[in-house]
Amino acid sequence: MTNLNTVDAAAVAQDAHLESADAVIAKSTIIFRRFMRNKTAVAGLAIFLALTLFSFVGGFFTPWNKETIDPFNIGMPPSGDHFLGTSQAGIDLYAMTVEGTRISILIGLIVGLVSVLIAAVYGCTMAYFGGKVDKVMLFVLEALIMMPALLVVAVATSGGGDTLKKNLPSWLLLIIVLLVFSWMGTARLIRSLSMSLMQRDFVKAAQYMGVPPRRIVWRHLVPNIGSLLVLDVTRGVTGAILAEVAFSFIGIGIKLPDVSLGVLIGGATSQVQTFPWMFWVPLTVMFLLTGSLAMMNDGLRDAFDPSSSSVGRAKKKSGQRTGK
Amino acid sequence: MLRYLAKRGITYVFMIFLTTSAGYFLAVSSLKPALLEQERIPRPTPEQVANSMRLKGLDPDLSPWERYVEWLTAIVTRWDWGRSPNGAFINAEFGERVWISTRLFLAAIILTLVIGVALGVYSAARQYKFQDRVITSYSYLAYIVPAPIAYFLVQLGAININETVGKRIFFVTGISTPGMAAGWAQFVDMLAHYAVPTIAITLVGWGSYQIAQRQYLLDNVNADFVRTARAKGLTRNQAISRHALRVSFIPVAQSIAFTIPAIFAGGFFAEKIFAWPGVGSWSIDAISLQDVNAATATLAYGSVIFAIGAILADFATTLVDPRVRVQ
Amino acid sequence: MSNETTIGPADPSGATAERLHIAGLHSPSDAVLSVRDLYVSFNSENGSVHAVRGVDFDLMPGKTLGIVGESGSGKSVTSLAIMGLLPSTAEISGSVRLKGQELLGLSDKAMCAYRGNDIAMVFQDPLSSLTPVYTVGAQITEALTIHNPGMSKPAKEARAVELLAMVGIPSPKNRLKAFPHEFSGGMRQRVMIAIAIANNPRVLIADEPTTALDVTIQAQVLEVLHTAQEETGAAVVMITHDLGVVAGIADDIMVMYAGKPVETGSVDDIYYNPRMPYTMGLLGAVPRVDVAEKSSLVPIDGIPPNLLHTPTGCSFAPRCPLVTDACLAGEPPLLPADGGAAHKAACIRSEELGGDVNVLEIFSAPPVPVSRFDAVPRGERSTVLELKDVRKHFPLTKGALLKRRIGTVKAVDGLSFDIREGECFSIVGESGSGKTTTLLEIMEFHKDQDGEVVIGGISNKQAVDAKAKGAMRREMQMVFQDPTGALDPRFTVYEVLSEPLQNAGMDKQAIRKRIMELMKLVGLQPDHVNRFPNQFSGGQRQRVGIARALAVNPKLVVLDEPVSALDVSVQAGVINLLDKLRAELGLSYLMVAHDLSVVRHISNRVAVMYLGKIVEIGEVDRVFGNPRHPYTRALLSAIPVPDPQFERTRERIILKGDLPSPLDAPKGCNFATRCPVFAALPAAKQEKCLTLEPPLEAVLPSPAVQALEAGPTAALDQQFACFFPDGELDEDMLVVHETADPHGP
Repeated sequence: MTNLNTVDAAAVAQDAHLESADAVIAKSTIIFRRFMRNKTAVAGLAIFLALTLFSFVGGFFTPWNKETIDPFNIGMPPSGDHFLGTSQAGIDLYAMTVEGTRISILIGLIVGLVSVLIAAVYGCTMAYFGGKVDKVMLFVLEALIMMPALLVVAVATSGGGDTLKKNLPSWLLLIIVLLVFSWMGTARLIRSLSMSLMQRDFVKAAQYMGVPPRRIVWRHLVPNIGSLLVLDVTRGVTGAILAEVAFSFIGIGIKLPDVSLGVLIGGATSQVQTFPWMFWVPLTVMFLLTGSLAMMNDGLRDAFDPSSSSVGRAKKKSGQRTGK
Repeated sequence: MLRYLAKRGITYVFMIFLTTSAGYFLAVSSLKPALLEQERIPRPTPEQVANSMRLKGLDPDLSPWERYVEWLTAIVTRWDWGRSPNGAFINAEFGERVWISTRLFLAAIILTLVIGVALGVYSAARQYKFQDRVITSYSYLAYIVPAPIAYFLVQLGAININETVGKRIFFVTGISTPGMAAGWAQFVDMLAHYAVPTIAITLVGWGSYQIAQRQYLLDNVNADFVRTARAKGLTRNQAISRHALRVSFIPVAQSIAFTIPAIFAGGFFAEKIFAWPGVGSWSIDAISLQDVNAATATLAYGSVIFAIGAILADFATTLVDPRVRVQ
Repeated sequence: MSNETTIGPADPSGATAERLHIAGLHSPSDAVLSVRDLYVSFNSENGSVHAVRGVDFDLMPGKTLGIVGESGSGKSVTSLAIMGLLPSTAEISGSVRLKGQELLGLSDKAMCAYRGNDIAMVFQDPLSSLTPVYTVGAQITEALTIHNPGMSKPAKEARAVELLAMVGIPSPKNRLKAFPHEFSGGMRQRVMIAIAIANNPRVLIADEPTTALDVTIQAQVLEVLHTAQEETGAAVVMITHDLGVVAGIADDIMVMYAGKPVETGSVDDIYYNPRMPYTMGLLGAVPRVDVAEKSSLVPIDGIPPNLLHTPTGCSFAPRCPLVTDACLAGEPPLLPADGGAAHKAACIRSEELGGDVNVLEIFSAPPVPVSRFDAVPRGERSTVLELKDVRKHFPLTKGALLKRRIGTVKAVDGLSFDIREGECFSIVGESGSGKTTTLLEIMEFHKDQDGEVVIGGISNKQAVDAKAKGAMRREMQMVFQDPTGALDPRFTVYEVLSEPLQNAGMDKQAIRKRIMELMKLVGLQPDHVNRFPNQFSGGQRQRVGIARALAVNPKLVVLDEPVSALDVSVQAGVINLLDKLRAELGLSYLMVAHDLSVVRHISNRVAVMYLGKIVEIGEVDRVFGNPRHPYTRALLSAIPVPDPQFERTRERIILKGDLPSPLDAPKGCNFATRCPVFAALPAAKQEKCLTLEPPLEAVLPSPAVQALEAGPTAALDQQFACFFPDGELDEDMLVVHETADPHGP
């Protein structure tokens, strides 16, 4: 079987060296390279990073902030004083957009990351224990899917007398409620994926070698569902940003004085005709944000997908090598 | 088959009970109608408020558990879902609004499903062609727009059409014109009111079905059984439409259960934006009025819709997949 | 005309076919299907894949052509090209004529008039080839409706029933309304055949029709195909990788390699007088179930070439032991070998390769390895594994909320056997017989198991702590059936091999050294440790799997169908490796396999399982040479042998139906429902089989031997569980195709 390679020992050694060099570069590098090859995804990443940067340092480029009222410029369209104009109350839109973008990105990132973490722990636990534990946990999960999140958000954020709520800013409250209702889909997916992985021969082989379960989960299960987790983080971030905008838009999510993209868009709907900039500017930012995430998600899926065309090229290379 | 559905039904009833109870506790511990009452002018005394609340069965001095027992007893024994802080009876209010919402959701769900699946099949048949790219890009676009904003944009569009034409074609708010005589005119009026919200929900909703249906059909186009059908003497297109299509419906049918809550939430947003007096806008208003009983009732309604969706999904799956039917 | 095949794919225009046709060279007028100069290439990301490069053949009415080749040899693509079922991206050229009518270039719609009518096809995987959402009746009548639009509904139904009866489906009328998932794999393949022959095709193409099936079911399906051919008079193209399957039924054989026919001829020419080293290698690579004498198998090194590049020389040259410089200069054409015009080989040295050439010598097959234990009598060797009355019963429940127990599946029912040092013990049986469950029970090694498992002196009853379990894990390791699934795709080979070593607590330096040793031991380049599994071929991956199992120096290796996922030419190398390792390292094997030829080749002892019980056990040559249990006899007779003469005159036992569900296992002998002896017994004796369970009994030496031995003779190493081993066989289950040899020398 190896005579192909023994034809020229030196070439084979060289070949093996190349191969091992390839292997040492590690999967993450290969995935990174494939991602970078996807123009759309890179553009998405650039837009997203730019927006994040903007939301943190954008405040330094304007003398105004979201609280100061400019009594001389009330409801003004974009001008030299105010890049993006002012609201009906005379607050600088640029300052509010910076603040709103930051809150929206913050909500997106926290909810996206933490919900995937919850989902991974919950899903793996279900798959690992199986049986009764699985049944009970699945019931809880389905019950949570059944709860209309919208109403719970409304109840939680419009509560009256709770001391807890008084101490919490509305964006933090929204994060908590979104977290409670955002992980179930991913958890179901992770459960079924881990269950099928547990049935794979290489997991069985490790079990039969006496490798402890902890190590099997860490070395075999986690890396094999890793790509799914990364994809779900970007999906989760998008979902959380969208949910925030939707809830705040109809007035049940984030409440003034906190500002978010949803609050800005929602607050401007009644004046679209009179102050169009107040509506279209935050809406455009939101589109850039969710759009860039969707573009990234697409590129990531390709980078992780073993059947993508990028791998085709990689295979060709190895094929040519062994074919020598 | 029927026994299986009945069993599922029992499980869901139990689940509805649990989620509704949990919702009640959440509502009762965070919504305090008494606080709002105190802001009325002339300002009532705390005793007056407590008295008035007690009369409506909303005694703020009872513990959540006592109130829960009281509330549950009323539902189980008299099917009485309680009263609002303003004195209105939930049953009556709900009964009026539920049909408005249900009609809207039903029309939207059916349209979403039919259009989504049809476009999915159409775009799969023209994979990578111009039509496919347009349709699929649209679906991805729909995915990154929050539902209420999309509805709002549709509303703006309808207003623009009305303004351009110079005549009111669409009604962008409300459910009917008051004082309309029964008959043809009323029917047209109803259509004009229904059109915009239904179109809005459908436009946003079909994207996910289109993408799913397209993917599942493409997965099956090269299946072994399609090849068998072609080997019998069917053309490729005949084989796909007679064999692959039906098989590709199976996963779509299974997914109905999990997209119905999304459409339901979409309906809530739509009612709010198009100012429809349905369950959705009522619930959101009620919650801002600190109405515990109304909030819980709408939550129960949401759970029931989900359960119906899940059972429908089971039913649809057994309809298209004989492998499930036998067991 | 063979010269035409050397024309490169640059000139495969339709003109070639026309030119040949005009020149009268195209085909004999009576051929029902003639293929000329068929080229198929696919455009892939990596460039053009030349899947088929110049296939020519003529198929006479009622004859059978066997196309033999490994995966990737282009045999399936050829058949799909003939049927017009390749994707539209495929570039096809040449000529395919069905009864003189050119099929290539017809539109999908025009082709539909022929597909399923004059030319029909049976596919490999019966499980996925039927539409799951339609009844089988609907799928059969569809084939009738397409080509007979005027046929009445009752007529179609009657024909469907007739077809189902013809392919041997019991109570066909009721089964019309059944869905595919209610049928077993074998039954579904029968339905596929029924659909294919519905319109009495002139040509029937069968693409690996029995590969996914058990041997007993394979024998049934081949029988059905034979009947179908007799009923319809169709010519058959039988595509297979198994030289045994076509030996008995084909008239002519075409051996394909790297997209090209490399040898064609009558079945006897190919099997008894091969003139191409690849054919010789293939024939030598398959073990034979009917041969007791042990010799090494012919290993064909290397892997088939990449079809992205058009070979400049003979495509087999890199793997050929007889390669010369001349072989690398241009692809050799298919030329008449051995004088006769019918027998052609594409090898420039075919004249040197007569019938008396020793294949083993040419391919330098390793000598038969001898284990140091082979000389020690079995009784004196220590026991490495012992099973005592092991049972595994699964409760079968129904209902979602309230579970009702509706029965018990006795997957393994009272199994006892032992394995001694240095021997290979195999378990054979159909799928569902409980052999895999047995392996799992041994691997689980749990104290709550029903029955005792003793591994290297450690009993599962004492194995309470992790330490005892760890000790046992070092005694026994496993090699899996699917080498791809058994290796974590994210691990390099180094990581794969270091996992058991790390687990055993070895330090880094020692691990490195051991891994290099292991790589050499299983015949892999030590430099390749940094590669990922997907950079290896299937055979190499299986070697990695074997290396991993050997890492901790176990005494016993459990082999679960170790070669069934591998190509024929690669199988031999792995089997030779396993043989060598057993001898050199003094290993014992416990193997589960469905391929009885492989079992006979490498095992010392064998157990035949049926519905969770051992029905016959003993030394492999005794059990296979003189089978006593009717089930063993049936199994053995179902194995095709790559020997046309033998196959043609062979008497076969064709068992009726599938393995019954273990749920309704009968009270007496499990096998009674399908037993050919039972069926022929008088009612009085049948009663015994139905009420009493036959125990395992030892075979005693024949009286003649007993007389010779003087004194008490020990029982032989062969036990079986049957009351009437010498009973007559039922006539209905015996089949002989005593065809007069049409290709006599």
